[in-house]
Amino acid sequence: MASTTDSPSTARAPFAPWDRRDLPGSFDVVETARRVGHYKWTEMKLFEALGGWIATIPELDVKMRLGTHCYHHAWHADLWHKRLPELREMKPERLTVPANDAMERFIEAMTEPEGPELTIEKLVGVYRVLIPRFIAAYTYHQNNTSEITDAPTIRTIKFILQDEFDDWRDGELMLQSLITTADHVRRAAEHQARLEAIMVEAGGITGPGSIG
Amino acid sequence: MRQFFPVEDLARDERFVQTNMAERMQDARQPRFKDAPASGTRSSAKSRAATARLTPDRPDASDAARSLMHGIMTGEIQALEGAGRTAHDFASGDGTNDTIPFELKLDMARQAWDEARHVEISVKLSAWMGTELGQFAENTVLFQAACSNDPILRLAGVNRALEGLAIDVFTQMKEFGDIAGDPYLEFCEDWMLADEVTHVKMGSDWLRKVTEKDPERRAKALEFQQVVDKLFSFGGARGESDESSIGLARRFRELAGFTDDEVDVIAKMDEDALAERKAAVQLAQEAAGAVAAF
Repeated sequence: MASTTDSPSTARAPFAPWDRRDLPGSFDVVETARRVGHYKWTEMKLFEALGGWIATIPELDVKMRLGTHCYHHAWHADLWHKRLPELREMKPERLTVPANDAMERFIEAMTEPEGPELTIEKLVGVYRVLIPRFIAAYTYHQNNTSEITDAPTIRTIKFILQDEFDDWRDGELMLQSLITTADHVRRAAEHQARLEAIMVEAGGITGPGSIG
Repeated sequence: MRQFFPVEDLARDERFVQTNMAERMQDARQPRFKDAPASGTRSSAKSRAATARLTPDRPDASDAARSLMHGIMTGEIQALEGAGRTAHDFASGDGTNDTIPFELKLDMARQAWDEARHVEISVKLSAWMGTELGQFAENTVLFQAACSNDPILRLAGVNRALEGLAIDVFTQMKEFGDIAGDPYLEFCEDWMLADEVTHVKMGSDWLRKVTEKDPERRAKALEFQQVVDKLFSFGGARGESDESSIGLARRFRELAGFTDDEVDVIAKMDEDALAERKAAVQLAQEAAGAVAAF
């Protein structure tokens, strides 16, 4: 019988050779909570808007799709709501706020169209302005936070980004099918430009620094 | 976007023709109920002879089932719109002063997704049954019940009364699919029924939770539910009597948070509505007889 000292060591490096996760990250706990609060506020405003618009949209396929997307964004808001106490914010409502006044104005402008003839404007605001900004902010956060200390946020962002990409694609398809004349193109472009200007003023979902 | 959205502004494409409960009741062409088959009517072994239940051997079974499925589809569209509006119309708060708890908003968004799937399912089932979109008129009463300024009344009217009715109707349609040998219909109704039980339970749970310390508000909500329940008894067309075409799905209602007493109240209401309707029919027949004799 071989002695213990003769056996090859079973001790392994704590990090396997393929595990290249790094410790440093750009955000401390307070900054992470601030960003998460803005994510939650904006996801809430988005799911409320989608829910409210369903009754105003005559195109049945769009009406149904908004119902599906409404829940996606509600689920995202819930994930962020539950993350906040883990970031030492025991009153999640305190941080559930817009990044700044411009962001609040952006949501007001995005949710302004109500008439049944304004489906293009409704979809442009969500799928050509706000969701691309979500994808940008989430991607920046995922790529810049600590892969070890903030792993729960990264995991949440990965789930959310999957929805955002799927929803953006759905929205773009709906828009392309609705934009069939030069006048539609003009309407879509003008509304997008108007909203983009406010979003630029806001600096993105979490304000200036949303993407670095 | 406005905070509250009126039923007359519901957006539809040109295929849909809308009506409301008052117009529907005044329409002499609208069948109010189906009489029970005459005693001794020949029926298949799996049917419920001597009842008014919707069964495949009824002479009008095809049209009745297609009309019912189209009604389900338009009801699902309005349920989708109503859930979306409740997620939108009220700020997040503790449930007082026109606010609703954040978690209730999330439930409404979840319900919007479920209803969107139900529209998808019922559009496909309607096509399967040979019906075109808009072939039957759309009764907008479900969305009307979702227009109250009090979110708790919306829960009582839509989630408890109307989604409760959906439990009864889907149970009936599932059974119809089984008897008709249509596994496609039975499969879909089974899934929708599971969602409806969830929605009714949401309504039951939130109504109790939000009105826990406000008995007056709770009583008002339950009263509103009874008004909607009575309206949708369709003169006893929904009830436990063999003369009712849609049964009361007790077991599923209990799963959805209804107490035995609450189901008994609905059953009694259906019974009374049936008696009222029969008395009205008898009066009309006597009047017609008197005119003929004259």
